Amino acid sequence: MSDTLSKVTEVFCDVFDDDEIELEPETTAEDVDAWDSLMHVTLMLNLEKAFGIRFASSEVAGLKNIGELVALIDSKTAVAS
Amino acid sequence: MTTLNAQQNQDTERFDEITVFNHSRKLRKENKHDEALSTLRNAMRRHWLSAEGIEKAGRQIIKHFKTHQVKTQNVLVLGQCTTNWLCNCLTASAYAGGISVMATEGQYDNVMQELMAAASGDVKYDAVVLLPWNTRLLAEGDRDAKQRIDDEITFWQQAWNFVTGQLNTRLIQIGYDYKSPGYQGHHLGGQPGGHINLVRQVNEALRANLPEMSFFVDIDQISGMLGRENFYDARRYYWTKQPFSEVGTARLSEHVFAAYRTMVNGPKKVLVLDLDNTVWGGVVGETGPLGIGIGDSPDGEAHRALQRYAKSLQNKGILLAVCSKNNDADAREPFEKNPDMILKLEDFAAFEASWDPKAVAIQRIAQTLRLGLDSFVFLDDNPVEREHVRQMLPDVEVVEVGEDASEYVHALEHGLWFESMNVTKADAQRVEQYRAEAQRREVQSSFTSMDDYLESLKMSADARLINEEDFARVIQLLGKTNQFNLTTRRHSPQVVQQMLADSNNMGITLRVADRFGDHGLVAVLLAVLKDHPLGTPGSTGKAFEIDTWLMSCRVIGRTVEEFCYNTLLNAAKNRNADYVIGTYIPTAKNVLVKDLYDRLGFTPINTAEDGTVTYELNVHEAEERKTFLAKVDADA
Repeated sequence: MSDTLSKVTEVFCDVFDDDEIELEPETTAEDVDAWDSLMHVTLMLNLEKAFGIRFASSEVAGLKNIGELVALIDSKTAVAS
Repeated sequence: MTTLNAQQNQDTERFDEITVFNHSRKLRKENKHDEALSTLRNAMRRHWLSAEGIEKAGRQIIKHFKTHQVKTQNVLVLGQCTTNWLCNCLTASAYAGGISVMATEGQYDNVMQELMAAASGDVKYDAVVLLPWNTRLLAEGDRDAKQRIDDEITFWQQAWNFVTGQLNTRLIQIGYDYKSPGYQGHHLGGQPGGHINLVRQVNEALRANLPEMSFFVDIDQISGMLGRENFYDARRYYWTKQPFSEVGTARLSEHVFAAYRTMVNGPKKVLVLDLDNTVWGGVVGETGPLGIGIGDSPDGEAHRALQRYAKSLQNKGILLAVCSKNNDADAREPFEKNPDMILKLEDFAAFEASWDPKAVAIQRIAQTLRLGLDSFVFLDDNPVEREHVRQMLPDVEVVEVGEDASEYVHALEHGLWFESMNVTKADAQRVEQYRAEAQRREVQSSFTSMDDYLESLKMSADARLINEEDFARVIQLLGKTNQFNLTTRRHSPQVVQQMLADSNNMGITLRVADRFGDHGLVAVLLAVLKDHPLGTPGSTGKAFEIDTWLMSCRVIGRTVEEFCYNTLLNAAKNRNADYVIGTYIPTAKNVLVKDLYDRLGFTPINTAEDGTVTYELNVHEAEERKTFLAKVDADA
């Protein structure tokens, strides 16, 4: 598991307050209970805070799965560092 | 006492948000749900959580309320924008403030439909919060300013009628705001026809048209205090139709909660002040009364500003008290000798300067003033004292301040504890009354018998039918009296009006005065005439049922209870009633009057599962009871 994926998993567990969440690159919103459109925004905001990045409005809606999310975060942290 | 002393050494360690949530989650896994929630509450009260953390805490609290079917107060939030996060933050703010409130939202921009649904639903709402957004107000089109304002007010008036009518509950109306001046810019935007100008005008119109006894939350002021650039987050509106940033949402929720708390409980009643490095700079025991920091220095000016602020609160009817670790004589000297002091000894309703732990001293103040600790706010520069009071007296609101005295006034304002609906004359007189009460207590100690003492007070009582003048005050008392309140029924103005429309029913206010001063309006009695369904088996007849009996705690034990009893009994006789029926509904706060009816010779006839006790008094057998209050005028 990549560092980014494990940190994303931590944020998910924290936001949903559930230690049992396991994320794979193929995981989608369908697979996680309570991951609805409102929680999606809360997740994005918490991810921004955890990684010290900022998503653009064009980026938040189109993500297909966790793999794409991780890639997006990696692209932003790579620029940042 | 030993345990309190031991607490003096506790650390004031600060925990970060992650630690707080991990700890809370761990407790929950061990099935320690209440402790898990206390962890969150403690963290919020100490300002350890970020705005995101507060929202998350709110989500967990709501989840807990739902899964454990906790009995909460209920607030319905309806907005012209998404209100999900506001509800979470509002629930969290209320929980931090010691009240279990579950805030639920309606569907986005569906205000009227949701109100109708609520009217036919099972949940009884304790308040409805209405949150406008400016989309319709500022929409394209050629309506002029007047038309736009009329359209908004007409819309909300329909909603208000529903809230105060069918739903019969409290109304909290949030105002309109703007994220930025828009294309017109700062100069034109503020002129007639400009967006900012339109927002300000519609807010004025809302204020002017709101039903009485509702609360206006001025979001234009609130966002201005934080700064609109921080209060709003443009992205959030496009993502979720919710314009506020996380910080903005949390801040707005604090104001909505303050509005709710003010409507339900009234403002906090007592501000307890430390002296050294709080009311003045430095330590008086070391510098003497003239050496303290209160004059023309930056630090001295800051302390003067605090004194001026406290003095204004006192003028508004908030009681001031001193709680200082000092020799009593040293603590009093600056008030007497330093000409730069704004506060004087007579501004304080209680003065506790000793070496006792502060929790003990504050409890003594509460006893002296006969007020619950949940109406206290405590300001102290010393973090150890603050933590000590937080732990020992969790009901007291402790102001979180830094070391710089220039922050004190802001910290007090920020807590919103002294927000009030409107200042009544009674509020301003209260200070005078409490001071007289302190003198009375001194007189009391020089008498040998209680009867002699009561006689010496030369008390008089004036019972009147509730009139228009007193009506607002009566509603205020129904809304906030907790301790001496037999049924704690928080009637709306409409309910009381309906009750009093029938002259067989009775609504009485009681004013008491004595040789030390006027206590003002101290008791409210509401009673309704009914057919007697409960009486002794086989008995028939009419019953005069006490719907509400509430009294100010300041006059307890002075035979005002007996005076009320006589008033009720005589009113029952005048109405040819056979019984007086009394009800005691237990709450967390009214144990004080648990056996009032027993003491007055009523007979318990029924105890319900929830502890509600119904009493009856046979009018034909009962006699007037002895009281030391002379009747001024009774039109009952």
